[in-house]
Amino acid sequence: MPELPLKDVKILDFMWVLAGPGVTRMLADYGATVVRIESTERIDPTRTVGPFQDHNTSPEYSALWGNNNAGKYGITLDLSRPKAREVVFDLVRWADAVGEAFSPKAMRNWGFDYESLRKIKPDIIMLSTCLMGQTGPLSRFAGFGNLAAALCGFYNLVGWSDRSPSGPFSAYTDYIGPRFGAVALMAALIHRKRTGHGQYIDLAQAESALHFLAVPLLDTVANGREYRPVANYDPDHAPHGVYPAAGDDRWVAIACRTEDQWRALCLAIKRPELAADTRFKTLALRQANRAELDKIISEWTVRFDPHQTEGTLQAAGIPAYTVQTSDDMWRDPQLHHRGHFVQVPHAAMEKTYVENSRFQLSRTPARVDRAAPTLGEHNDYVLANILGYDEDRITDLVADGALG
Amino acid sequence: MLAGCHVLDLTTERGLLCGQILGDLGADVIKVEPPGGSPVRALGPFFKDEPGPERSVCWWAYNRNKRAITLNLETAEGREILHRLAAKADFLIESENPGDLPQRGLGYEDLRARNPGLVYVSITPFGQDGPKASYADSDLIIMAAGGTLILYGDEDRPPIRMSVPQAYLHASADAAAAALIAFYERLSSGHGQQVDVAAQESIALAAQSTPLAAPIHGGETSRMAGGAKMGGIRVPLVWLASDGQVTCVFLFGPAIGVFTRRLVDYMYAHGACDRAMHETDWIAYGDMLATGKVSMEEYERVKSVVAAFFSGRTKAELFDLARANNLLIAPVATIGDVLENPQFIAREYWQQLDHPELAMPLRYPGPFARFGASPITFRRRPPRVGEHNREILMGELGLGDREFAELARKGII
Repeated sequence: MPELPLKDVKILDFMWVLAGPGVTRMLADYGATVVRIESTERIDPTRTVGPFQDHNTSPEYSALWGNNNAGKYGITLDLSRPKAREVVFDLVRWADAVGEAFSPKAMRNWGFDYESLRKIKPDIIMLSTCLMGQTGPLSRFAGFGNLAAALCGFYNLVGWSDRSPSGPFSAYTDYIGPRFGAVALMAALIHRKRTGHGQYIDLAQAESALHFLAVPLLDTVANGREYRPVANYDPDHAPHGVYPAAGDDRWVAIACRTEDQWRALCLAIKRPELAADTRFKTLALRQANRAELDKIISEWTVRFDPHQTEGTLQAAGIPAYTVQTSDDMWRDPQLHHRGHFVQVPHAAMEKTYVENSRFQLSRTPARVDRAAPTLGEHNDYVLANILGYDEDRITDLVADGALG
Repeated sequence: MLAGCHVLDLTTERGLLCGQILGDLGADVIKVEPPGGSPVRALGPFFKDEPGPERSVCWWAYNRNKRAITLNLETAEGREILHRLAAKADFLIESENPGDLPQRGLGYEDLRARNPGLVYVSITPFGQDGPKASYADSDLIIMAAGGTLILYGDEDRPPIRMSVPQAYLHASADAAAAALIAFYERLSSGHGQQVDVAAQESIALAAQSTPLAAPIHGGETSRMAGGAKMGGIRVPLVWLASDGQVTCVFLFGPAIGVFTRRLVDYMYAHGACDRAMHETDWIAYGDMLATGKVSMEEYERVKSVVAAFFSGRTKAELFDLARANNLLIAPVATIGDVLENPQFIAREYWQQLDHPELAMPLRYPGPFARFGASPITFRRRPPRVGEHNREILMGELGLGDREFAELARKGII
C-alpha cells in the first residue's frame, strides 16, 4: 500500500462547528495526524445537530459531527486551567499547523494568538477562519454559515418570483469555506516545505464564498444588473426544471441545453410533434412558453418512478436525474461504485458511516478507516504517545481538572 | 506560494475556478482555448448586454491571473504542441467527459510518459468511472444527484436550485485542494498522479451530512420555505423584518440554545414576550419537543411571537441588535448590498483590474484568504483570445517565425 501523501503533516485543530473541521477532515483523509481539542463544557454545536444515528440525540450519535471529524484524535481540555494551556503549548511545538475557527478575540485571550505561538515555534502555520475576517467593523460578528450566506447575497438567489426568497439549505457558506480553507492550508504547507517559513492566514468565510457569486457581482458592477431569484429558470437551458414523478414528494430534474437534446426529449416522452410545434421551436420560445411546456412534460413524468425516467432520458442523451433523497443516494449505483459511503468502527456506536473523500488520487488514495472521536477518546493517546507524558503527569492533569 | 509552478488549464466552465485559484497562489497558468476562443466566452451575461468573446462576464469571473493561448486539439500538430507544453508543466487541469482526452492521446497515461511528475486534474460530473460516468449533466442535474436539490424550495412546490450555477464551483475548489495535496506529495516522491474529482460527490457536502441519514437510520430532512424540516421539527431560517428579510437561527440544545436564550432575554426586557416564554429552558427545549413535553402548537406559537418581534423592526435595527447582544441574526442582502457592505470595503477586499479595451475598470471579488507571508495579488486581468500565443509559443516553447506563421495559417492556433 502506498504511503499517504500527508503522512508527515501534524495539525493542532481548534476548529469547531462546520467550516473549520471540514478543512482538517480533508487533510486527515490523506494521512495528516490531526489532534482535535474539545471542551466538555462548551461542546461543539454540530454534536447537537442531526442526522442522529438511530434517532439518538446524544452528542456521540450526530452524523454531522461524525462526518466532519472522522480520522482525527480527540482530546478534551479546560483551557481556563493553566495546566491545560501548557498541554496546548506542547502540542504547538509538535505541530506543523494550527487551525482555529473561533471569533477573533478568543485565541488572544488564551495566549494562543499567532505572535505568541510563533515565539515557541517560529515556523508554525496558523489558519484562522471566522465568518467575516479578523479585522474590520464586522470582525466580531460570529455565527453560522447561514448568516454569512445572507450577508453575501446567497439567500436572495433562491426562491420563486411570486414569493419572498426561501434561501439555500441551512448554513450555505459553511460548505464553501472548507474547500478554500484546505487550499489555503495546503498552499502554506507547500510554501513551508519549500522555504522553511510558516505564516498566518486570515480566511474570512464570507470573502472566500463571494467567489461563488463572481458572475452576479461582476454583472452588477459592469451592467448595474439587479438579481432576483428565478426558481428553476436558466438562460441557457429549456426545458429546465424539476418535474413530478410517481409517488409522494418524488421528483426528477431535466435540463436540455441543445436542440438535439430537446428533439430527443420529444421522442422520449412520445410527443414527436412537439419538435415542430411553433410554441417550442427555439430556446427563446421554449423559455417564453415554459409554463405550457413544463405542464406537458409533467403529464408524462408523473406516470413513472423518477429512476425509470432518469434511465429512459439518459439513454437518449438527455440530462436527467432523480432528485435524490438520502435513501436514493444510499442506493445510487454510481455513488456505490465510487465508494461514497464508508463504514467505520466507532467507540460508542460500534459502527457508523461517513462520506468518503470527494475526490480520488490515483496513486495515493485517501484512507478513511477511523470514525470521529468521542469526547476525550484519545486523551491518553495524545498525552502519552504524541507528547510522551509519563503516567504521573497525566494523573496530575486529571486531578487538576485540566482535561475537562 | 506556487511561484515557478506551471499550470495548463484545458477546462470549460466546469473547471475554470480551479486554475484561477492556482493562479491566485502565484502559479503561471496558461489557459488553452480552441481557435476562436473558449465556448465559455459565448456564455452570458455580457458587458453592456452585447455578446462577444471579449465581453463575457462569465469568462472574466474565473480567468484572472491566467495567460491564454489558442490551440486546435483536433489536429495532430496541436496535440503535439500540447504534449510539449505538458512536458514542462506541474499541473494540467481538464474537465472533458471521461475518456474524451485519452481518445485523443491526451490522457494522463499519454502525458506522464514524458513528464512523470505531472499532476493531472480531471473534473467531471460523476467521476472517471462507474455505471453513470457518461451521464449527461448540468448544474441542476448535479444538484439533484448530490442530494442538495431536494432540500431547497417551498414544500408545496417542486424543489428549486440557486439561481446562479454553483455545482462546478464546489467541484473546482475541491479540485484545487486535491491538486495541492498531490503536489505536496510530489515534493517528496517526485511522482505525479491523476486527481479525479466528481462534482456529484463534491456537492454532497452542501447537504450538511443529510445524505448519511439512510445508512445510519437518522430520518430524512426535507425542504421548507425559508428553513428546513429536520427530524420532524420545522426550523425557520428566514424571517420577515419590516423592510425585507433577515436570517436568524432559533434553535435549541447546549450549544445553540444559548443564543436563543439571549434573544428571548432581550425580547422580554423590551416587552416582546411573556414571562413563561422568558423562563423556558431553551437548552432542553429540543428534547422536550421530541418527547412531546412541549407540543408542536406551543412551538408554533413561540415562533409567531418571535416573528412579531422581527416584523416590527428593520433589517438594520435587527442586525445592530445582533451585533450588540451576540445574537444569530443577519440581513438578507442583495448583490448590490454586498458591494456596499462596509466590512468588505474596510478590509479593502474588492480588487480593481484595468480592462484597457473597455471604457471602465472592473471591481472583482478579492483574495479568498489573507496570507501573511505570501499575499495573493491580482496580477492579470482575464486574457483575450490568443493574447499570449506569441509570448508562450515562440518566446517560451521556442517555435520559429515560420513555424508560428504556418500554425496560424493552418488554423491550429
